Amino acid sequence: MSEVKIAAEPRTEFGKGGARRTRRAGLVPAVLYGHGEQPKHIALPAREFAAAIRHGGANQLFAIEVSDGTQALALPKAIQRDPVKDTFEHIDLLLVRRGEKVTVDIPVQLTGDAAPGTLVVHESDTLSVSADATRLPDHFEVSIEGLEAGSKVTAADVTLPDGTELVADPETTIAVISVAPSAEALEGETAEGEAAEGEGAEGEAPAAASEEPAAAAQ
Amino acid sequence: MLMPRKPPKGFRKPHHPDRHGASKGGNRVVFGEFGIQAIESAYLTNRQIEAARIAMTRHIKRGGKVWITVFPDQALTKKPAETRMGSGKGSPEWWVANIKPGRVLFEMSFPNEQIAREAMRRAIHKLPMKCRIVTREVGES
Repeated sequence: MSEVKIAAEPRTEFGKGGARRTRRAGLVPAVLYGHGEQPKHIALPAREFAAAIRHGGANQLFAIEVSDGTQALALPKAIQRDPVKDTFEHIDLLLVRRGEKVTVDIPVQLTGDAAPGTLVVHESDTLSVSADATRLPDHFEVSIEGLEAGSKVTAADVTLPDGTELVADPETTIAVISVAPSAEALEGETAEGEAAEGEGAEGEAPAAASEEPAAAAQ
Repeated sequence: MLMPRKPPKGFRKPHHPDRHGASKGGNRVVFGEFGIQAIESAYLTNRQIEAARIAMTRHIKRGGKVWITVFPDQALTKKPAETRMGSGKGSPEWWVANIKPGRVLFEMSFPNEQIAREAMRRAIHKLPMKCRIVTREVGES
C-alpha cells in the first residue's frame, strides 16, 4: 500500500471547544505518538483524510508534513467517527519507521459463493498480522466457493503474502457456513417469542394493571 | 415478545430514561451484512421490535438471518385513564429499549441485496423513529 502525503498543522487549542472550532474549519483533530516521543497534537484536512481512508482503508500509511517543518510517517491507530453524520471526529496516529514491523488488523474478504441453501456468517472481518509498515496488504481474500453447510473458514486458511506473519490465533473463525433457515424455522422464532411472553408475563411488570384500582375511585 | 426474564434489579417503576445524546456503541454492523440504524432517539417497545422482525422475516421467507441488536429492558409506567393525580406512580405498562441516534437496531444477512433492502424498508415502517439502511464496512476501526 503506497503512502499518502498529507499536510497538517499543529494544534494550539484543546478541549471540546477547540476541537469543535477545528472541525468547523474543515480539519480533523489528531494526535501523533509512538517510539517513546512526546505526543504531538495536529489537525489534518478532513476531505483529504476522508478520501485517503476511503481508497486505502483504515490501514493507510500517511507521510505527514506538519507546517512547523516536522515530517513523520504514521498509521491510523484509532479513528473516532460521528455515529450519525459519519464524519471523522478524532484520529490517533502511530509513528512508524520504514522497515519496522507493525501489528495491524487487515480486512478479510470472502470470495465466491457457498453451496446453494447455505448461509454464510462472516464472524470476523479482520485478521491481526505483523508486517512491514510500508508494505501492508490492502486485504486478504479467502474463497468460500462451493463450501457445504457445517464447514468453516479459519485464520489458518488465509494465504498470507511474503513478509506477513499471522499474529491472531490460527483457530480464529473467519466465516461459518450453515444451513439457511427455512421459512418454518423463522416462524418458529415467532412462536418461541410468544411462549417467552407468556412465561415472562406471570408476575411481570406490564401485566400489573389491576395493581391500584382504588386510585380511580378518588 | 422480548422482555426481561427476571424482575429488574433496580427499581420496578424507574423514571423515564434519558433521551439526549447519541449512541456510544452498537453503531456499526457487526453480525450481518446490512443493518437498520436509528437516526433519531425514541423508546422502542417490544411490540415494535417484534413487528419489525416479522415484517423482515416474512419478506425474505427463507435463506437469510436476522439479528436483533437491542433489548427492551426498561419499564415505562402509565396511570390508568380518568385517574386523578397523586396516589403514587402508575403501573408498568411497556418494556422499551432506549434508542439514541446512531444505534443499529437490526442486522440481516441475505444473499440478494435488493430483497434484503426491501425487507428492511418494510421493517422501518414499523419503527417509531427515522431510520436508514447501513451496510457492513469491512475492516473499519
